[in-house]
Amino acid sequence: MFRTTLTGLLAHRVRLLLTCLAIVLGVGFIAGTFVLTDTMNAGFVQSFAADADKVDVVVTPKGGAGPDENLPESVLAAIRAVPGVKDAQPMVSGDVPLIGRDGKVVGDYPTAGVSIPPSRIKITSGRAPSAADEAVLDEDTAETQGFAPGATIAVLDQAGKRQEFRLVGVFDVGLDQELAYRGAVAFTPGTARRLTGAEGFTEIDVLSSGPSPESLRTAVAAAVGDAKVVTGRERAEELARRNHMDTSSFRLGLLLFGAVALLVAALVIYNTFNILVAQRMREMALLRCIGATKRQVFGSIVLESAVVGLLSSALGLLTGLGLGAAAVAVLRAVGADIPTGTVSLSPLTIVVGMCTGTIVTMAAALLPARQATRVPPLAALRTQVEEHTFRTGVVRVVVAALFVLAGVGLTAAGVSQGPSQEALLTVMAGGVLVFFAVLILGPAIVRPLSGLAGWVPARLFGVPGRLAVDNARRNPKRAATTTVALTVGVTLMTFMAVLSSTMRTTVQDQLDQQFPADYILSSQTGTIPRPIADTLRGSRELATVTEFREEKAKVNGRDYKVGTVTQSAIGTAIKPEASSGTMDGFGAGDVAVADNVARDLGVTVGDTVTVASGGKSTPLEVVAVLKSDVSMLPSFTMAEQSFERHFGRVGDAQVLVNAADGVDPGRARKIVDDATAAYPAVKVSSTTEIRGQFDEALDSILMVVTGLLALAIVISLLGIANTLSLSVHERTRESALLRALGLTRPQLRGMLSVEALVLGLVGAIVGVVLGIAYGWAATATFTEDVSFQLPIVQILVFIAASGLAAVLAAVLPARRAARASVVGALAAS
Amino acid sequence: MTTTIQVRTAVVARGLTKVYGEGDAAVHALRGIDVDFAAEAFTAIMGPSGSGKSTLMHCLAGLDTVTDGRVSIGGVEITGLNDKQLTLLRRERVGFIFQAFNLLPTLTAEQNIRLPLEIAGRQADQELFDRVIETVGLRDRLKHKPSELSGGQQQRVAVARALISKPEVIFADEPTGNLDSRSGAEVLAFLRRSVRELGQTIVMVTHDPVAASYADRVVFLRDGLLVREVERPTPQTVLDTLMALEA
Ligand SMILES: Nc1ncnc2c1ncn2[C@@H]1O[C@H](COP(=O)(O)OP(=O)(O)OP(=O)(O)O)[C@@H](O)[C@H]1O
Ligand SMILES: [Mg+2]
Repeated sequence: MFRTTLTGLLAHRVRLLLTCLAIVLGVGFIAGTFVLTDTMNAGFVQSFAADADKVDVVVTPKGGAGPDENLPESVLAAIRAVPGVKDAQPMVSGDVPLIGRDGKVVGDYPTAGVSIPPSRIKITSGRAPSAADEAVLDEDTAETQGFAPGATIAVLDQAGKRQEFRLVGVFDVGLDQELAYRGAVAFTPGTARRLTGAEGFTEIDVLSSGPSPESLRTAVAAAVGDAKVVTGRERAEELARRNHMDTSSFRLGLLLFGAVALLVAALVIYNTFNILVAQRMREMALLRCIGATKRQVFGSIVLESAVVGLLSSALGLLTGLGLGAAAVAVLRAVGADIPTGTVSLSPLTIVVGMCTGTIVTMAAALLPARQATRVPPLAALRTQVEEHTFRTGVVRVVVAALFVLAGVGLTAAGVSQGPSQEALLTVMAGGVLVFFAVLILGPAIVRPLSGLAGWVPARLFGVPGRLAVDNARRNPKRAATTTVALTVGVTLMTFMAVLSSTMRTTVQDQLDQQFPADYILSSQTGTIPRPIADTLRGSRELATVTEFREEKAKVNGRDYKVGTVTQSAIGTAIKPEASSGTMDGFGAGDVAVADNVARDLGVTVGDTVTVASGGKSTPLEVVAVLKSDVSMLPSFTMAEQSFERHFGRVGDAQVLVNAADGVDPGRARKIVDDATAAYPAVKVSSTTEIRGQFDEALDSILMVVTGLLALAIVISLLGIANTLSLSVHERTRESALLRALGLTRPQLRGMLSVEALVLGLVGAIVGVVLGIAYGWAATATFTEDVSFQLPIVQILVFIAASGLAAVLAAVLPARRAARASVVGALAAS
Repeated sequence: MTTTIQVRTAVVARGLTKVYGEGDAAVHALRGIDVDFAAEAFTAIMGPSGSGKSTLMHCLAGLDTVTDGRVSIGGVEITGLNDKQLTLLRRERVGFIFQAFNLLPTLTAEQNIRLPLEIAGRQADQELFDRVIETVGLRDRLKHKPSELSGGQQQRVAVARALISKPEVIFADEPTGNLDSRSGAEVLAFLRRSVRELGQTIVMVTHDPVAASYADRVVFLRDGLLVREVERPTPQTVLDTLMALEA
């Protein structure tokens, strides 16, 4: 039996080729993910290990980050006094906004001002700062801002005063994500503390004069009291672990796409084996006739799938190695900070790749194998291959109905639940159930759908078109599995497209509605000097200037941000949405509360709250509870006068500016820029820019996800090519007959293209419908007021692209069918 | 009483040679055959297995290329035509009936019958259609799929399909090979009637002396050569000729 199976496999190797490719791609993606993340991890471990030996003991605050949590100054002296300590080097960190070449602060967040111990800092050019007027910049910022050692750089100190330094070098922030994101300037410890005004240290590195790190750790721990004390090695391991976690979730995300790809591959494999079993009906029957048991027939198919699975998985691993290496190379080329490490297949990767590939293949072949055992020995004697009639059985309908009911029920429950994470999960669970229903009902719905999708082609392409539509519908089970594989990818793509377009419009609608501004002013040193708003208000080209101010205070005994907004802007420039009460007639003694805070404090409209700070206290009456989702207002909003009376004259946190109608945007921008020119810390951003950035971010996420989903689509296209080439093989005689009756070669090719087109369109249509429905359901669980937006163009592109791709997938099978000689095909029995 | 009738020839072959393969493996299936097939006549081709009957038919019908020689159908030389031209020629001038697998399983009997016309983009002549359907007796089976028809009925559908486009010539390769003698006799009777009543030209390959006796004339092949002809055959004369050939 084993030999028969192997010879059978060899005989069908061409037919199994596309199936193998599907598994190779799926396993390749998964293995590639592992290779990439393994390489990244190995790099992290390497670079942390290299750092570990430079420091013997590391002292950090217990609580974590934040200026209030810093190690007190006294700790440094205490550590230095511990016997066996050769040196203790403190680390300081705070905000030191760097001024760029345009005279404005750099970036969206203040640049970090740090002091890094000489033993730790990685200088890549120049040297570390040693004098009070020297500084070094991180590589990235130095490059983007065009500063080189020898240049003079300017920063703003804690008081917002400009200070100049001599740049003596450039350093590498290594794996510190925060410094990498914000950019960093490093100074000597004294300068860093003076500039940032930070009290205490974020970290102290201790060097031993002899004792082992472990014993020194115990001694230091006893001396410092309330702080975290670990050896350098422990610290390195901890950091490596943290990065490991980052790569783990990255890996998990990628593996999710790998799982989708494998699911699609499983559908393709299932279909292939089903078709092969159907085509080998006679062969099986003959085997049964000459004495093979059902078990042996079953075993031979499963064995065949095992061989296919093992071979393809092994190829998949190699593909994965290549993909992983390519990904590492690409990421490095685009400047991602991936530490160097050798690309290799770890034993885990090999085990995972081989197991998933083989198990998926064998599992997908189980049902077809069982089908093969049902072939009666008598079938060997039948001459004509039976047509695959399909009747929708009662069981199928009942099971599908149950899935539909459960799925739709869950979805409806999720949607009606209101915005929350759980609601989203409920909707997703409903989606999975509905998908299963589609899978089960596929053969029943594919006939009418092919009729629908084939309506135009059947009329457009004459006889070949009509024959093609008939062919697409003649074996509903096969057609359903083929198209569902494509449906998976298209559903997810449509889902993402609907999600992103809806989120885009929703966020923008609400921003537009509540804060119709052209420019937004913000400051990296905390507040915007009041004269700026006053100057702007004096310009006739600007219609409105809205100021927001904020202070920290205790409200009913708890810490909150209390603020105010230009009185005249309420109801005109900004239109806050109230969930109860109203801001109409907002005046002294009134307060508007954000809904989440109102819930926390248990206050409602009509209640009185007390704002207390600096020894003063002001009672206020709640007149409105505001929706906080997209509100720019602080937790508590007071009227301008009462805010000023309580807190005094404070600077603006934010200023929104609107140009007057008909003013050229360039002109308005110049007025705003001129008004802020003297204040380097104040940044002007236009809402069009912000919107553009938001769009860009959304677009790039969408692009990455679409790119990753493309793999599933490619595999499903392999499935279409596979089904068609197997069908072409099955219909060799039919094709020959048609050619004998006068169908030309191009017409025969066209016939197969149309069949593929119909299959592609059916898969895409089902996918688009599911994607839209679940995109809508998912967005309904995000926020209250969704502006549902159908990305019609994108969806039409998906449908057209699916059809086109399917036609392309049919090119080779169609060519093969058209090339076959009529006489040869007629002779083949 | 001898009457000389002016007979038109539908298919002419001259020096027809077909060699499969090359060198040592070359098989000379046809070794230079000269033969004419009269229009509006029913001709049978017979011969031992492997004598080249099917090959001859395929070459005459333009389904296969010839190694040497010429073939013309209705006065049109088909040797030297390219695939596209041959396909169009088949559409317009040639009908086929095969031993098995004559029908597309997805189409009904009627759709199968009309298929060649639709491929050619021609309208069926309704009167002819009715007559053909009447002749082959399929009126009540038109809406059935091939899988719902018996073997004999399937072959009758194939005959109807071949007749409907009024081709210059119909080639039939063992059309009754898969049928029992009664269904076979029916199909053969229809073929003969279509020659007599509709003026159709039919060339049929067969193994069966009884089937050959339905024809007006039988030509005999052996080893790729035309060796004998019998006019107005009876099963007995055909059988005798065969015996003589194999001796
Ligand atoms: N495609 C081919 N390649 C090589 N040789 C072939 C091919 N087709 C036919 N032959 C050979 O050509 C010769 C004639 O074959 P053909 O099929 O015409 O015989 P036939 O008279 O129809 O026989 P049968 O009565 O068995 O159908 C045979 O020797 C056959 O082996
Ligand atoms: Mg033959």
